[in-house]
Amino acid sequence: MLAGLGLALLPAALPSLPSGAPGPLPAARAQQKAPQKLLRISAIPDQKPEKLNRLYPLVANELSRQLGVPVKYVPVTDYTAAVTAFRTGDLDLVWFGGLTGVQARLQKPGARVLAQRDIDASFHSIFIANAKSGLKPITGVQGLSQLKGRRFTFGSESSTSGRLMPEYFLGKAGVKTSDFRGGTAGFSGSHDATIALVASGAYDAGAVNEQVWRASLHDGKAKRDKVIAIWKTPGYQDYHWIAQPDLDQRFGKGFTARLKGAILSWRPSNPEQKQILGLFGAQQFTGADAKAYGQIEQVGRQIGKIR
Amino acid sequence: MAAPLLLLAPALVLLPIALALPGLLHGGGWDLVGQFLLAAVRPSRDPLVLASALQGLAVTAGMALLGWAASLLLGLLLGLASSRTLWHTLAGTPWPAQLLRRLLAIPRAIHELIWGLLLLQVLGLQPAVAVLAIAIPFGALVARVVSDLLDALPTTGLEALRAGGAPGPAALLTALGPPLLPGVISYGGYRLECALRSATLLGVFGLGGLGTDLKLTLQSLQFDELWTGLWLLLALMLLLEAGIALLRRRWGMPQRLGLASGGVGRSGRELLLALLLLIPLVLAVARGLEVNPLALLHWQPLPPLPAGGWGVALALPWPGLVGNTLLLTLLAAGLAVGLAPLLLLLVAPWPWGRLLLQLAWALGRLWPPPLTALLLLLVLQPGVVTAALALGFHNLGILGRLLLEASEAAGPERQQALASAGAGPRLALLYGRFSGLARSYLAYGAYRADVILRETVVVGLVGAAGLGSQLLETLSAFAWDQLLALLAVYALLTLLGEDLSDRARRRLLASA
Repeated sequence: MLAGLGLALLPAALPSLPSGAPGPLPAARAQQKAPQKLLRISAIPDQKPEKLNRLYPLVANELSRQLGVPVKYVPVTDYTAAVTAFRTGDLDLVWFGGLTGVQARLQKPGARVLAQRDIDASFHSIFIANAKSGLKPITGVQGLSQLKGRRFTFGSESSTSGRLMPEYFLGKAGVKTSDFRGGTAGFSGSHDATIALVASGAYDAGAVNEQVWRASLHDGKAKRDKVIAIWKTPGYQDYHWIAQPDLDQRFGKGFTARLKGAILSWRPSNPEQKQILGLFGAQQFTGADAKAYGQIEQVGRQIGKIR
Repeated sequence: MAAPLLLLAPALVLLPIALALPGLLHGGGWDLVGQFLLAAVRPSRDPLVLASALQGLAVTAGMALLGWAASLLLGLLLGLASSRTLWHTLAGTPWPAQLLRRLLAIPRAIHELIWGLLLLQVLGLQPAVAVLAIAIPFGALVARVVSDLLDALPTTGLEALRAGGAPGPAALLTALGPPLLPGVISYGGYRLECALRSATLLGVFGLGGLGTDLKLTLQSLQFDELWTGLWLLLALMLLLEAGIALLRRRWGMPQRLGLASGGVGRSGRELLLALLLLIPLVLAVARGLEVNPLALLHWQPLPPLPAGGWGVALALPWPGLVGNTLLLTLLAAGLAVGLAPLLLLLVAPWPWGRLLLQLAWALGRLWPPPLTALLLLLVLQPGVVTAALALGFHNLGILGRLLLEASEAAGPERQQALASAGAGPRLALLYGRFSGLARSYLAYGAYRADVILRETVVVGLVGAAGLGSQLLETLSAFAWDQLLALLAVYALLTLLGEDLSDRARRRLLASA
């Protein structure tokens, strides 16, 4: 009976993860060559899975069209897994946040920073509050001290805009995570979840990425009578595309430069590229400099996410 | 007459929890809880959602089956190798068995989730990671049970065969093989149920399958899609449990909490057939999931050890971490062990009450504790009590079902006698059925407490400030030195806990 059940489920058991090393089974052998030619892209899961599943297959198609190699989007479930999978060579090109990008580059020397969005050179976090919490908009960093004794949630543990920089600014106002009600801050897992949890009143306040906050206001997911913005942080460097160091060896000389050129070439005048840029919340991508992430690395070390 | 009351003693832990609970409620989030409950009766039936949930379920079931099969193979071999009787018969000395037993305590002490996250670091993102993460600790557990069963068998038959001049291996197989089989198969069936739960949990932490979908849909508050996955998983789990119970009865295997064990199964041929069917099934699933054993040889280097040295690891707030972990274990274990008989007594007068209870317990077994914890956070503040509720609910589901099965197997005679003598339904149940089971149930509860200690890591994300939360935070900072120190302390605690629960169990069973 168990056997029957297992067999019935089997046809649905399609491969969902990329296979690594070569193997003796025919299925595995077919995959053996694939990693050589297949460009595997991924992204930290900072937003709702539906949005990621809409955006990154578009990116994969566009890159495949421009570069003439098969490109596959491999979803990962958390920030740490994205860093690990990049280090173990399971992902070739990843859309990392500031902190995860620094972690990935420290773990994979030689990894190349390809590009960032026009908005990433000066990215902001927004502190949000439940409309009924009594928390008021503030004008300077010191005002964050009103969050002491409140229930507060970050996004993912390794998020730059949802944890690292907010914790840094809270520290500047003299607020430690142990000062929040319950003795610790929550980790909602993503920016969308932070907005929903604060809007519902499960938390009094939280910190989110400015671009996701604007998008939520725009599409009506965040309602101003439920959740309000109370402060916008000063700017810092955030998201960037990072590529494996060995792409030129695997895909041919000059491939990394072509890849970078392809990403930088996207413009709103092209309908497909317009859709991609729209989902990224950007006008276009620009070159990025690894050195610019020094502040992020420093704050990461200060908060203990980088050692 | 103290025995039935002894059964209810762990429920005393409800008092401090009930006292702490009002202070923990924060007033917000009831909206979302309402939406969550409402979604239970109208899960998403979108074909895309259904297809993705079915695919996730197939991957989870496949990982569970493979991990389980590998753990049985591993456990049987290691179990034989750590049997004192076996070494005594073949080599004349039992000490290699003793040594191996002690070594096997280490893989057993580390939860499959930690194995999974560690293996992910050295093997990369591949399905074999989840399979291996289940196979290693489960294999070590099976090995212990096999060697315990083996060494507890009477050796008179073996000695007679040896005295008659039979060679060692043949004598062992003839004398000990048949009586060992029912226990091993019965326990093996139970491990398959555990493997399904573990595979789901591993998914919650990103190792693929339905668990991943569950976590993502919960985090994005898509409750209707969450319930599609939950109902499908419930159907599979109940089918599996019913199937295993059926086979157990059909083949005359002992119940897990049973007082009497049957003889050798009458259906040897059926058993053999099932075993033969299992082999191609396992191979087909391995192929379907693209699990590649050779890929396991392909190790990745670990990231460099961070600067700062061991001083940073030593500077962690160890007493608080350990204290909170132990408190969490005690609260969760008390909740699970104590509530199961209490709830059964409460609903004893109403037949539909028992049905509702069974459904609630099935959901408790089904829901990975981190998901329950995330839901609880919608209305409760983070902390030890919230984490204990999540962990307690899960284990209540497991213990409750066990107690119900055992009390049904205990036979109705005494309960009916008491009821016809005028005792109320609750008292008749308590004194008629539970009193005979009290000691074996509590002994199993002691074992469960030990499992709970190991499981505290999975509710780390509730911020209970125990070793579990610290471990997850350390993993995301890639701080290997701290991670090693935390693992060592965890393993040490689990080994101490195992020793304590063994002693408690022996005392309970000896005085039965």
